[in-house]
Amino acid sequence: MTDLQQASAEADTFPKLLVENARRIGDRPAYRQKNLGIWQTLTWREAADAAREIGMGLVALGLERGDKVALVGQNTSLLYISFDAIQSVGGIPVPLYADGVAEEMSYVLDHAEARFAICQNQEQIDKIESTRDRIPSIEALVYEEPKGMRRYDQPHIRSLEDLRRLGREREAEQPGFFRERVAEGKGDDLAIIVYTSGTTGNPKGVMLSHDALRNSARLACDMESLGPGEDILAYLPLAWVGDHFISHSMQYVAGFTANCPESPDTLIADLRDIGPTLFIAPPAIFENFLTQIGIRIGDAARVKRWMYDYFIGVARRVGPRILDGRGVGVADRLLYALGELCVYGPIKNNLGFTRTRIAYTGGAPLGEEVFSYYRSIGVNLKQLYGQTESSAYVCLQRDGDARLDTVGPPAPDVEVRIAGGGELLYRSPGNFLGYYKNEEATRETLDAEGWVHTGDAAIVTDDGHVKIVDRAKDVGAMSDGTVFAPQYIENKLKFYPFIREAVAHGDGRDYAAAFINIDLEAVGNFAEREGLGYSGYTDLAQQDQVYDLIQRNIEEVNADLARDSGLASTQIKRFLILHKELDADDGELTRTRKLRRRIIADRYGELIDALYSERDHVRVNARVTFEDGRVGEFNADVKIRDVATAAPGRA
Amino acid sequence: MEFVNLVLIAPIADMAEYPSFFLEVVFGGLMTGVMYSLVALGFVLIFKASGVFNFAQGVFALFAALTLVGLMTGTMPFTLDKILPQFPAWLAVIATFAVMIGLAVAVERFVLRPLVNQDQIIMFMSTIGLAFVLEGLGDTIWGSEVKALDVGIPTGALYLGEIQIQVFDLWAAAIAAFLVAVLAVFFQWTRTGRALRAVADDHQAALSVGIPLKNIWIIVWSVAGLVALVAGIMWGSKSGVQFSLSLIALKALPVLILGGFTSVPGAIVGGLIIGVGEKVAEVYWGPLVNGAIENWFAYVVALAFLLFRPQGLFGEKIIERV
Amino acid sequence: MTATDTAAAAAAEAILSVENISLSFGAVRAIRDVSFDIRKGEIRAIIGPNGAGKTSMLNVINGFYHPQEGRILFRGAVRKQMRPYEAAAGGIARTFQNVALFKGMTTLDNIMTGRNLKMDRWRVNLLPAMFYYGPTQREEIAHRAFVEEIIDFLEIEAIRKTPVGRLPYGLQKRVELGRALAAEPDLLLLDEPMAGMNLEEKQDMCRFILDVNDEFGTTIALIEHDMGVVMDLSDRVVVLDHGVKIADGTPDQVKSDQNVIDAYLGVSH
Repeated sequence: MTDLQQASAEADTFPKLLVENARRIGDRPAYRQKNLGIWQTLTWREAADAAREIGMGLVALGLERGDKVALVGQNTSLLYISFDAIQSVGGIPVPLYADGVAEEMSYVLDHAEARFAICQNQEQIDKIESTRDRIPSIEALVYEEPKGMRRYDQPHIRSLEDLRRLGREREAEQPGFFRERVAEGKGDDLAIIVYTSGTTGNPKGVMLSHDALRNSARLACDMESLGPGEDILAYLPLAWVGDHFISHSMQYVAGFTANCPESPDTLIADLRDIGPTLFIAPPAIFENFLTQIGIRIGDAARVKRWMYDYFIGVARRVGPRILDGRGVGVADRLLYALGELCVYGPIKNNLGFTRTRIAYTGGAPLGEEVFSYYRSIGVNLKQLYGQTESSAYVCLQRDGDARLDTVGPPAPDVEVRIAGGGELLYRSPGNFLGYYKNEEATRETLDAEGWVHTGDAAIVTDDGHVKIVDRAKDVGAMSDGTVFAPQYIENKLKFYPFIREAVAHGDGRDYAAAFINIDLEAVGNFAEREGLGYSGYTDLAQQDQVYDLIQRNIEEVNADLARDSGLASTQIKRFLILHKELDADDGELTRTRKLRRRIIADRYGELIDALYSERDHVRVNARVTFEDGRVGEFNADVKIRDVATAAPGRA
Repeated sequence: MEFVNLVLIAPIADMAEYPSFFLEVVFGGLMTGVMYSLVALGFVLIFKASGVFNFAQGVFALFAALTLVGLMTGTMPFTLDKILPQFPAWLAVIATFAVMIGLAVAVERFVLRPLVNQDQIIMFMSTIGLAFVLEGLGDTIWGSEVKALDVGIPTGALYLGEIQIQVFDLWAAAIAAFLVAVLAVFFQWTRTGRALRAVADDHQAALSVGIPLKNIWIIVWSVAGLVALVAGIMWGSKSGVQFSLSLIALKALPVLILGGFTSVPGAIVGGLIIGVGEKVAEVYWGPLVNGAIENWFAYVVALAFLLFRPQGLFGEKIIERV
Repeated sequence: MTATDTAAAAAAEAILSVENISLSFGAVRAIRDVSFDIRKGEIRAIIGPNGAGKTSMLNVINGFYHPQEGRILFRGAVRKQMRPYEAAAGGIARTFQNVALFKGMTTLDNIMTGRNLKMDRWRVNLLPAMFYYGPTQREEIAHRAFVEEIIDFLEIEAIRKTPVGRLPYGLQKRVELGRALAAEPDLLLLDEPMAGMNLEEKQDMCRFILDVNDEFGTTIALIEHDMGVVMDLSDRVVVLDHGVKIADGTPDQVKSDQNVIDAYLGVSH
């Protein structure tokens, strides 16, 4: 056992871990954040000092043990440190999605009975202020970035700088108070409440203990042999358990460095700067990178294109075998090395993957194309499957055994089983304590023996890998009785770079049909090449050439579906391209971009009816919600197309 | 079959058989290419900064070389008597540069300023006029006979195995490379360089941030004068200062089409390609058509480029967003 | 405070005033005898229907156009006309209706050109800069630091190294504002800063304009078509119609002015 692991075994809460890390590796970087174009470093010691100041500042504001403190904003070093600050003095942090609309935020703040909120900037302060009358529990707001805050003179709003000053003063008055509070903390204390949006109903507050997060983090760090040398980019939403788990829990257990991006839009540049050794992203981001590469190569000179195609061909043939450490001939090894020099190396460098030992993805199925692409050029991309209720992971793919069609075997110390109806259950050291103020939901999900019901339909393969099929409740049947798994079809569609979102319909119907959202960037590029003029999403989406493009994609998917007799009758017969992008702000997607089928079905019922009619176009009235909650409306004409289907069993 | 053999196989076989001779040809071509590059560079600089296609760039080189020779030989302007003190080479180069700066000031004052905001074609015509005026002026001031120029660049031959290399050529390449490096730094890193790029992009916007157009134009034309001076020295030292020097401007045109009108690296690479291409074509394919390929090779290449890649090798792809 | 003091304070308040300006292009009279002032620290809007002479007025102020009659008082000094270079050197920065950026240059370089006048002429010139050392480097770094503040302020970190020609229109407008801000202007002229933007971009731009005014104390004169925006943003509004000033006052006063309703609101709404 290394020093650090020893430490994490003794220090049973995260504040204690922070103190330990500050003592053992105090001069190593804990956080970096790019500010004004320069990466600023905070060492573990500085992080511990900041946590003490913020924590004591909250005490000065009147924080009592058990009080909830909301954290809202993009990833910044100080917001991460605020987690520890709050936990140190007995508070419970409740992270919120920075891009949530005021409405959603006020629900969570009220439900959690948050007394304080630490916000990144004016935008978040404004959102909370706009609905403060609905959050009686809120007493004080703190902001980190002073920009635009000059005119705010309300006494309950103060800067983080000011809070830290208060904290220093309090510390001087009560030296030792902070240390006592930290020492009082116990491993089975509630560490954090993470609200999950879920695809239906109000968000639920998942309660996780220090033990759950810390033990799962230690198992993961041991399995992947992670130590203080790692660098990660902490860019995913603070309120998402995966980010908290990796950019906080694992970071503290292993003692590595979390790097916060300059702004939400600078991801690619920041990735390149940092070159993380461990990287986690939803499949959409990996797909997006691949699309970008495709666009760039498409614009490149012919020689480059040829070279790229040739070496990617080589990589697809031998790359995955090399990555898995299996035998490859000398000639192929040489070719691959040359490819590394000319193509893979530069691509990885461009994406910031040069140093990446492990890249995780999860949350949604991954395209074959994408998965094998990254693995072939030497990026160790692995899938994981997890839930907020499990402190992030349930299944983890192992090095040398990463497969596309499964999410890997259960992680160390995690048990899984398949219940009636095919639902996946698990029991893990990371099990949650329950839903906050929601006994009923807790009883439904967490049974007396500690099994958690995932709501996902899955199967376990003969060699113990778990394969997720769909949301258990989404699987339906067509009128002829064929099983209809909408996500399966949608995922196939979404693997095309031009298709950003798809909604498949077919439950209880004679044939399957689909809504499509085009990818504005990829299709915009296509339009530029073809010389199509357009004024925006709605205009572009309704162009005939774009319909032609999407139609070809769908026909390919149909041919693919036709290969499997069980799926042949779920081929898509009609489709339309939606006149607006499905948006989390309009409640059509969750913040993690999962479809909210019921809302979509309600809102676009007219369009669904049209798909199952003879009509070739529909006139609709659409509404969009802006971030501040205002609503705008516009009219649009939506075309509907028929698609050719393939005969079953034929390729 | 015979034809294919003559055109495609025999010349290649020749190259393979005597590789050292082939390399010598390529090397000679590169050196000519450096000259083309220098002149093309002058065009690109002015075109980028003021949108003017300066037809007089070749004549600039001639005029600079003439002035330089005149100063070094102590020639009295107009009378052509060699009665003035002879300038040493280094001083003559500096003095000539000063003359080129004076020329830039005059061009700004008497050509550009009165024509500001006119069509490109009018500006272009005015530079044709400028070319004629300068050529006549050069003749009148310094006389029209061919003059030798020697600024002290070492000559002689070097042998790399069997390949013979002219020392002068090496120096010429080195000087040209140095000049390009200095210009690159100047454009990329200095405030003036940034201002130059800004003016090249949008005159009005440049004015609004307080960049004085007048000064910028003088600077650009002076820099173009400096490039012309260097080209004039190289070319003049090699084949004498004479009227034909101004004709290399015509060779610069295909170079620009190849490299793209707005690209500095394009001008350089374009010049080198044309230089090597025409030499190789002349030596290996020349006999088939009784020679003189050198004279038209560049234009054929340019024509091909106009058909298949009008923006040139390095030109900016023309994408407008709406 | 004595009466003279108050009068002096009031006079000192105006950073720029135009007096009896008339401007013609040949037979077309673009501006006829227009006078108004811009006070230190305010947001001043110039509005009016198409062809009212708003942009011409801005061009007179920053010296692109030279009026035939009238005079301009800038920081107390009387001028018959401005010159663009003098205007810029005197602390007037502007943006353009159709975005006049250096399209081939990066966002960073574009904003750096805005620092042009703030740079020490000799230290950043050719020879020392060739070696990029010592004072040149320090100077360049200091300016870069300032430009980074602007980039942070306008939230355009992600496009720092992108050639602006590739940016969407809304972002180009933001970069242009950044370039104007880089000159640390006392008076910022904005020519339809929100033209061609969608609602969300407009709101962002409004926020930036208010923040600039608030945080840096920059005086702002802006031309805008969108009446709602003008009323929310500005302290005082001057209304032009066919080159003639028809109203001048606070947004509320202007809104209820019968001339304005007839000429502008009545026609276009």
